[in-house]
Amino acid sequence: MNRWGEKAIYSLSVLSCVLLFGSVAILLGYLLVKGLPALNPGLIFGSTPMVDALFLKRQVFDGIFPAMAGTLALIALAITIAVPLGLLAGIYMAEYSGRFTRSVFGFFFDLLSGIPSIVVGLFGFSAILFFHHHISESLAPCLLVSALSLAFLVLPYIVKTTQIALETVPQQTRITGLALGATRLQNIVFCLIPESLSTILGGIILAVGRCAEDTAVIMLTGAVVSAGLPDSLFKGYEALPFYIYYISSQYADQTELTQGFGACIVLLLICATLFTLAAIIQKKVRHTLLYRH
Amino acid sequence: MTPPKIKIESLDFYYNTHQILSNINETIPENAITSIIGPSGAGKSTFLSLFNRLWETTPGARVEGRIQARFSDSFMDINDPKLSVIQLRRAVGMVFQMPNPLPMSIFNNVAFPLKLAGITEKETVQNRVTTAIKACGLWPEVKDRLDKKATTLSGGQQQRLCMARALVMEPEILLLDEPTSSLDPRSGAMIEELMVQLKPRCTLIMVSHQPDQVERIADQVIDFTPGSESCR
Repeated sequence: MNRWGEKAIYSLSVLSCVLLFGSVAILLGYLLVKGLPALNPGLIFGSTPMVDALFLKRQVFDGIFPAMAGTLALIALAITIAVPLGLLAGIYMAEYSGRFTRSVFGFFFDLLSGIPSIVVGLFGFSAILFFHHHISESLAPCLLVSALSLAFLVLPYIVKTTQIALETVPQQTRITGLALGATRLQNIVFCLIPESLSTILGGIILAVGRCAEDTAVIMLTGAVVSAGLPDSLFKGYEALPFYIYYISSQYADQTELTQGFGACIVLLLICATLFTLAAIIQKKVRHTLLYRH
Repeated sequence: MTPPKIKIESLDFYYNTHQILSNINETIPENAITSIIGPSGAGKSTFLSLFNRLWETTPGARVEGRIQARFSDSFMDINDPKLSVIQLRRAVGMVFQMPNPLPMSIFNNVAFPLKLAGITEKETVQNRVTTAIKACGLWPEVKDRLDKKATTLSGGQQQRLCMARALVMEPEILLLDEPTSSLDPRSGAMIEELMVQLKPRCTLIMVSHQPDQVERIADQVIDFTPGSESCR
């Protein structure tokens, strides 16, 4: 390639990065400008005193506290279901599957990751309707159905990153444990997983983010406008993305719209906190696996 | 010459359809250093991987012929399906060309094979790890920082740590794949000295690219240079 070509590609790649960075900065800036005025205890707790709300003495009716709790419960539940399943499936794919099963399963996992979330939501909705009609009248869209549907939605990320993380462990590392007399399972648990933990965590973070933001699945499977704090797996619940959706599509005045932006910032803060937590957990797990005498 | 530890009879080795080794017949003496020499690509490392069946981790690899090793006074076929490959690898240690400490503490690196073998009694582990590190002359350098990351050690120290890790299971056979080629001359000399010291308790098989090293420490040489089926 000639000198001009090199310069052009270089400039374009720098420009792309600047453009991306700029868009993110504008997005965050816009959110902050619009949402900061609403960001106060009143947004979260409404007219209920903060201490009473936190100690569950009194219900919050006009704040986003129940929605925050609902979103956290939803993430925790969905991730608890998806992570063990995804890890085990990823380990099978990378370490145990034959060429044929690997390609067949891999194809289906890729297919699954391409399914739009509204379709997954609709499937969850239809499934619970079926159960409602045929098994028990008491079964209805609820927290558990949402969590299961979300887990289904994020499973492919976890499977794929686990599989790739294990497959890309260098051959040298792979045979170190084996040469020392490790069984296949010991090699996976003590050598390969610690080595690939940070990549696997990347997949889990992606999954957490997806669970936190997804609206299509939850509005079909259990999220409601007003439910109070989530207290049962089998009831409807409030969730932040759903709150943001309905308040910004049906706001009555400027204050409500500002509250929507405020809720966006809260949602981002929740995600940031969870990512930090995940990084800390990863460090701890790695340390326990490798350094405990 | 000491009695044979390993007997190799009409051995062929293939990767898929590509033949790497053909009709090898050799005897490896006990408590001696056998050196394997020859040009790159002649199958020296592959030959070494036969003794702990590490070649099995390579897809498409296949072996024909017989390798018999003497463990506790009776010869047994290394490739016998009834012989547990895990047990075999605990009795046949291996040290690689590049030092490969695991990303854990110095102590845990050496204790790792014990953990794999289910030996967890604290005092036993402590004693065996200490003995192995001392045997490799590494004790004075690491005794105050056993809980530090093994990767903070120098290349030569890491390689001696890997030797200690291989020795902690008290293997009867120790395989070494160019153990000094990534080290400076002084560290290399320490490893050589260590190998000579190990002879009374181990049978050592070493791939080497350095003729002077072979000259210094090898008791027997297997030459993989095409056309020279020689044995010294």
